[in-house]
Amino acid sequence: MRRNVKRAIGVLALSAVVTACGSSTTDSASTEGKSAASGPKEAIKVALIPPSTGALAQFGSDSVKGWKVAVALVNAKGGVAGHQIELVELSTDATADSTLRAAREAVTQKGAKFIGSVMTSPEHGALNLQLESLGALSFNSLGKADDLIGKQCAANAFHVVQTNKMDINALGESLKDLPGQKWAIQAVDYVTGHDAAAVFKAAAKKAGKEVVLEQFAPLNTTDFGSNITKLQSSQADALFAVEYGADGVAFVKQAQQFNLPAKFKTVLGFNMVSEPLFPVLGDVVSGFYNNVGYNVALDNPSNKEFVAAYEKANGSKPYYVPADAYLAAQTLFAGIEKATNGDPIKVRDALKDLSFDSITGKVTVRGADHQVVRPSYVGKVEGTGTSKAFKIVASGDGPAITPPANPECKI
Amino acid sequence: MSIAEVLNGVALGSLLMVLSSGLAMIYGLRGVTNFAHGALYMVGAYVAYSVGTRLSFWVALLVVPVVLAAVGVVLELVFFRRLEHRSHIEVGLVTFGLALVGERIVVLIWGERTLSADPPSALSGSISVLGTNYPTYRLFVIVAALAMASALVLYLSRSERGLHIRAASHDLETASIMGINVDRVSLFVVALGAALAGLAGTLAVPYVSLDPGMGAGILITVLIVVVIGGVGSIGGAMVAGMGLGIAQTVGTTISPSIAVVIPYLALVLVLLLRPTGLAGRRAA
Repeated sequence: MRRNVKRAIGVLALSAVVTACGSSTTDSASTEGKSAASGPKEAIKVALIPPSTGALAQFGSDSVKGWKVAVALVNAKGGVAGHQIELVELSTDATADSTLRAAREAVTQKGAKFIGSVMTSPEHGALNLQLESLGALSFNSLGKADDLIGKQCAANAFHVVQTNKMDINALGESLKDLPGQKWAIQAVDYVTGHDAAAVFKAAAKKAGKEVVLEQFAPLNTTDFGSNITKLQSSQADALFAVEYGADGVAFVKQAQQFNLPAKFKTVLGFNMVSEPLFPVLGDVVSGFYNNVGYNVALDNPSNKEFVAAYEKANGSKPYYVPADAYLAAQTLFAGIEKATNGDPIKVRDALKDLSFDSITGKVTVRGADHQVVRPSYVGKVEGTGTSKAFKIVASGDGPAITPPANPECKI
Repeated sequence: MSIAEVLNGVALGSLLMVLSSGLAMIYGLRGVTNFAHGALYMVGAYVAYSVGTRLSFWVALLVVPVVLAAVGVVLELVFFRRLEHRSHIEVGLVTFGLALVGERIVVLIWGERTLSADPPSALSGSISVLGTNYPTYRLFVIVAALAMASALVLYLSRSERGLHIRAASHDLETASIMGINVDRVSLFVVALGAALAGLAGTLAVPYVSLDPGMGAGILITVLIVVVIGGVGSIGGAMVAGMGLGIAQTVGTTISPSIAVVIPYLALVLVLLLRPTGLAGRRAA
């Protein structure tokens, strides 16, 4: 009997403890629930995966600067749809393998659902294949290959930067206003070179100009002597040059030794001259024209806010790399704002055919291939030494320079 | 064909001549296909760039070959001498690995971005050659390469060390039996070959743009030059380098697409018709 009483007391005591614990857990959960409902929303994480070594490292860190400025500005205003934005920085060596590894780590271990600052087109091509399984969205502000909105396009990939075709079309649009009647084409013997030459010839014909020489040099040409000699002996009074990277530097420097630029009223480059190459190319490029992705002097509130904030944070005006990263951030924020949350699928759907005001004016995310329809510019290098800068002399409107969506892109 | 086009060919041929003569020397004596020769040229160019921008091109022209000669000494003492009894393939693979390591070191020090430098002020601008304005620097490259070639030929044919080198290149064992210190001769030849790569790299700085892939890019052409010239023949390599440079440049003026394959066509033709090369003493 006494044993039974003891057992009964023990059971009662145990149930009391369990009940107490149970109600405590419930209360705690309920408190947390209330706190989540009334407190700040969960931060949305964006993974930045730029190259940290090699030739592209500078572009990578500049791209991160663009994202940081965008995030600082938007967080200071209370975030996007009530969510603060948090950047998760990882690094890569600009190879597809290491970028994919970093992307997986960012999504599966760090909780990021959005990816930016990936550099090269091959990296984007590889990443695009993995985005759906990762459940993440990518915002490409750097890789320009046309295939990224063609056969390599992906439902979760947004192409914020202009494609090569868009830039070439912008050059073609401006041709009629550039000095020179008889043009020579010096291009890399590669898809981009032949595409650019074809668009240029069509534009020249439309503008009533004549192409008197067209020559292609293999990729990785080190000695342009023969090409330059032919250009010198041609009847051309203007030059369209599509040489980039090490080839572009070699061509410009060797042309300088031959005093070739003096022969031409216009030297129009495609991807040949850019701000980071100014110190290497020297003053010979002063007066050259080239495609320019971003106009720092654009007069709209969004751009003014960006330029001021970037200059304050970094001590220099932005160029196309940080500017395109900033535009990528603006695109993401516009999607989150419309979706009202950070769910990647909802953000993706919200971005379809969305138009919004950006640093480059009103832009639209084309639903068919996720290309951001935006302008491209033609700039003229002015100044010498460290004061060299592009002066924008012509602009191609987004709808005019963006080719129709590639039917190979199935989103 | 204009005088400028001919000079373009001679200028490119001059650069190939300097580079390939060093490779031919090393192969002739050591029997090593030095796949690191392109990397030596690249390292020479980057060191010359740094010396040239900090001091002057002329200082670089003197210092860089010496620095590369020191690298050659290390190559000989640490690798070639220790591996001299191993198969050619093994030694070749080691030099290939060294080239990759060298390229990575250059990337770590100078980065992967493209670099470029202007010629020194005394060599900037152009000079009228038979009524055609031609870049002064390219003429300097031609003159420097021809002077180097003449000096090297004279040295090898007239000096006692040159006699030892020729003897050791012909038959290492017999030369050793005859009292020639072949280790010392080998050390000298590898150092001299590396110095010539350094000289070519220095001359290349204001000529081409610098990037870490420049060594690998030119290595294939230089190997072809050495085979066409006759494996191990310094004179043959010089003649083949100049000839190939001119042929490739002339080909570019006619058809750039065909010019790309000229070195390979020449290689196939030489191997078919004269397997020992233009001046080869022994089969490869």
